[in-house]
Amino acid sequence: MKKFFSLILVLFLVAGLILAGCGQQKQAQEQPAQQNQDTKQETQTVKIGAILPLSGSAAATGVKLKYAIETAQEIINGEHPEINMELAKSAGLPNLNGAKVEFIFADHQANPEVAKSEAERLIQNEKVVGLIGCYHSSATKPASQVAERFQIPFVAGSSSSAALTERGLKWFTRIAPHDGMETVLFFDYLKFLNEKYSAGIKKVAVVYIDNEYGVHAFEMVKKTIENYKADGFELVADIKYPANVSNVDTEVQKVKAAKPDAIFHASYIGDMTQFVKKYKELNVVPKVVLSYCGGYQDPQFVVNLGKDADYFSGPNATTSALFSKMPDLEKINEIYKAKSGVDIDGPTLEDFASAMVIAEAINKAGTTEPAKVLEALKTQEFAAPYFVSGKIKFGDDGQNIHSASVMTQIQNGIYEAVWPTDYQTKEPIPAFPDWSKR
Amino acid sequence: MMKKMKFHPLLVIFFVILILPFINDNINFHHIMIMFLIYAGLGEAWNIITGFAGQTSFGHAAFFGIGAYTSTVLFYRMHISPWAGMILGILLATLVAAVVSYPCFKLKGHYFAIATLAIAEIIKQIFISWEYVEGATGISIPVMDEGILNMQFHTSKIPYFLIAFAIFSIAVLTAHYIEQNKMGFYLKAIREGGDAAEAIGIDTVKYKLFAMMISAALSAAFGTLYAQYILYIDPFMVFTMDVSMKIVLLTVLGGLGSIYGPIIGAAILIPLSEYTRIFLGGTGKGVDLIIFGALIVAVACFEPEGILGIFKKGQRKKRGVDYARATT
Amino acid sequence: MLLQVIASGVLMGFVYALVAIGLTLIWGVMDIINFAHGEFLMISMYTVFWMYTLLKFDPFVSLPVAALLIFVISYLTYKIIIKRVIDAPGLTALLATFGLSLFIRNLAQFLWSPDYRFVTTSLVADKKITMGPVIIGLPQMAAAMGSIIMTVLVFYFIQKTKTGRAIQATALDRDTAKLMGIDTEKVYAITFGISGACVGVAGALMATFFPVYPESGALYSLLAFVIVALGGFGNIKGALYGGIIIGLAEALGGFAFGTQFKYAVVFLIYLLVIQVRPKGLFGW
Repeated sequence: MKKFFSLILVLFLVAGLILAGCGQQKQAQEQPAQQNQDTKQETQTVKIGAILPLSGSAAATGVKLKYAIETAQEIINGEHPEINMELAKSAGLPNLNGAKVEFIFADHQANPEVAKSEAERLIQNEKVVGLIGCYHSSATKPASQVAERFQIPFVAGSSSSAALTERGLKWFTRIAPHDGMETVLFFDYLKFLNEKYSAGIKKVAVVYIDNEYGVHAFEMVKKTIENYKADGFELVADIKYPANVSNVDTEVQKVKAAKPDAIFHASYIGDMTQFVKKYKELNVVPKVVLSYCGGYQDPQFVVNLGKDADYFSGPNATTSALFSKMPDLEKINEIYKAKSGVDIDGPTLEDFASAMVIAEAINKAGTTEPAKVLEALKTQEFAAPYFVSGKIKFGDDGQNIHSASVMTQIQNGIYEAVWPTDYQTKEPIPAFPDWSKR
Repeated sequence: MMKKMKFHPLLVIFFVILILPFINDNINFHHIMIMFLIYAGLGEAWNIITGFAGQTSFGHAAFFGIGAYTSTVLFYRMHISPWAGMILGILLATLVAAVVSYPCFKLKGHYFAIATLAIAEIIKQIFISWEYVEGATGISIPVMDEGILNMQFHTSKIPYFLIAFAIFSIAVLTAHYIEQNKMGFYLKAIREGGDAAEAIGIDTVKYKLFAMMISAALSAAFGTLYAQYILYIDPFMVFTMDVSMKIVLLTVLGGLGSIYGPIIGAAILIPLSEYTRIFLGGTGKGVDLIIFGALIVAVACFEPEGILGIFKKGQRKKRGVDYARATT
Repeated sequence: MLLQVIASGVLMGFVYALVAIGLTLIWGVMDIINFAHGEFLMISMYTVFWMYTLLKFDPFVSLPVAALLIFVISYLTYKIIIKRVIDAPGLTALLATFGLSLFIRNLAQFLWSPDYRFVTTSLVADKKITMGPVIIGLPQMAAAMGSIIMTVLVFYFIQKTKTGRAIQATALDRDTAKLMGIDTEKVYAITFGISGACVGVAGALMATFFPVYPESGALYSLLAFVIVALGGFGNIKGALYGGIIIGLAEALGGFAFGTQFKYAVVFLIYLLVIQVRPKGLFGW
């Protein structure tokens, strides 16, 4: 009888594991066959993997990033002579006989373990020649390590932790300015406000979430403020709050007690909104609130808060107010908006850029051979008419040396570009009115 | 009955698991096999304290995380081999288990369960705020030369699989040994009623403590392997309640209090969550988890003893009265 | 400032208590940990949100609707799922409610997207009471009042009404209650329903000042577990006091040790209290 029992058990195990495995194997067997065909017909499609948070707490953002990458795919594969970009004019990659690009999406659920396994699966099973993603810096870390091991180029779009490019990885590049660059931008902007508008900003408070994103941002502020001591800036409070916070009462009371002129926020959309509501309730009126790439940049911020969102600021790779100044961006946005229903925002544009750049690097290399693609990535300059910086160029550590951010401020519910002055759509307002007078 | 048997079912299961990755050499399949072994092993460890001794723990992620962090920090800061780190991690987790759970053993039922949850959350917060272990930033384990000493293998996953298999076997055999011996009977007596066990002269606190320490030690060993396998850890990944609950879920799903339970549970849950994600996750709609949740509810409703209950039923029908007599 | 911290802490405590009351009821009567409790809260918040967005109903108008809806959902949950697992061994009931919570949470994401949403205007929105140095938001105030009213109502229902007494009897000894002619099946279903109604009210009140998103319930249910255990399972008064203690511990702990430790302080308080009173503050 025990034998019968064990037999069923074993059958179950085999059913659970092997059957599922067989499906995979079948797929794996199909792959080489397809590959052979491809080489015969001079590489018909170039596969690139995109690992994004498509479920879980950041799914809202992940889905938008997916639309942006699909937009890039459409621009590359279709003929879009109206957009002034190399890959837009012809269908496919011209240097690879018009080969089409296909982005293969994978979900990492904001879990580094999943990001790692999905990176391996994309490289091994789907035979991708490059990877982009992953939005969360904590997911980008293990995923890019996999890319390094398999010697496949990885282009990160919007992951902003400075630690990513400090690891000395050879196969890793990143488009977005990292939080260290953002912090310098913050202080330069405050200096600009002080000089031009005599804003008198001195006391800085940092409010940040207790995870890798927030903690790293705060470290950068601590480091950077040393260089700006001469300009009179001092750190008066640093308030760390737990991830998954249920209420922010005590946090806001601590901010209020410190009476800061400027508040730096490293927060996601949910907590950021709660903070704004509490600032209003307890009547906290700083002069400037600057946000690291996170909750503020999400257009939902304005939708949820309405008038209360006004006067908040933060760097952004783009804003809808800029579209009229940048015709190429406007056309890209048209395609994107048809898919997603909303205007393209900063982080989304950065992931769009990562998709364009890797395709362009493959095109410039004229081959999908990883070493040549990497060489193109590291040595060439990429035209990026959709960014205010206009170009993308990676340094030795893989960081894009051109910061693509403009400082934006919400005025009457619109993200207006306020600095640098060349791209200004509105003048900055360096003071918060009393909450009761809105 | 035992004498007629030629192979112990465990041997058959071990053999099948061991040859599977060699039949199918797909790397993604290897990944699933490794995760399956890790979670099945964690389930075995958890089963000792909860399935056998009846003390529900919702905080096993704490021991898993301590194991992961001990070896990682030693490797990262002092370049000590993860193997030494694993042993230290096991010792540390055992110590922590003893210290924190001893005062909690006087708590009954759910009060104990919530206490384990609270302890795990506090330990998580300690690691998030602890700068020496890089706090919330997490640690990217330096990529070193491939080799058994560094416990890093870059070209193939088979060595990871073999290490996972070794620890898994130790976990299963430990649980099996406990179940077959005096300690197992004592633990089950404690589960069925603490006071009665006390009355017949079992030192309940001592045995609960042993069970907890063994359970924590095994969990910590998997922690080290997990960290070396993923090569990146942060507190949110290893100390999260998700890990604790996954262990609980798969064991209860398979069958609580049986050494086969966690194996069956993990063999269903891990591939299911991997493949639903791979095939449906790309849509960004959470369909995979909807199916997953519904399936768990269905199993709970129709097979309250876990999937193992299906086998037992099959057996019972065949054996009829014989079985009923044997169990009473 | 300390006064303000204490005031905020107590108010938050009432809100937590509101969530915990429904949970403690099921836990005490049936000895079931309802992991889907937070998800019921989330459905209630969405109900209010959608009635506000689509029909322009004020959250206080939709409050009874939400309460009734969650009552029905809870009642059905008992009839369809819990009934089958209540006598099952070990942790099967936990498995069922955990699966249900996964199902509901991801269904919400599927149907309504993972966006964070807010009910931006309501009777109490953006209004506040200023008392010297202390500022109290009216939405929180309303939730605290609701919490006290709910506690009193449920307390009296259990103590004074016939159904309430039947619930009490069933909680004490199910078999004896059955012998006395109490339809324990019905009692359980009603208990589950009432628990749902409580959390329905909680969700409606909380939607006026908390974001609404698929994971919003999970956050509060974890704290509610601790509150229920702190107060003693099945003890309604315990849930209220437990809530206030936890709210205060969170606010004062965050104030004294840094806000990142506020939940750690909460968990620590539970561990300390449970050492002195192993069955919670009011446990029997």
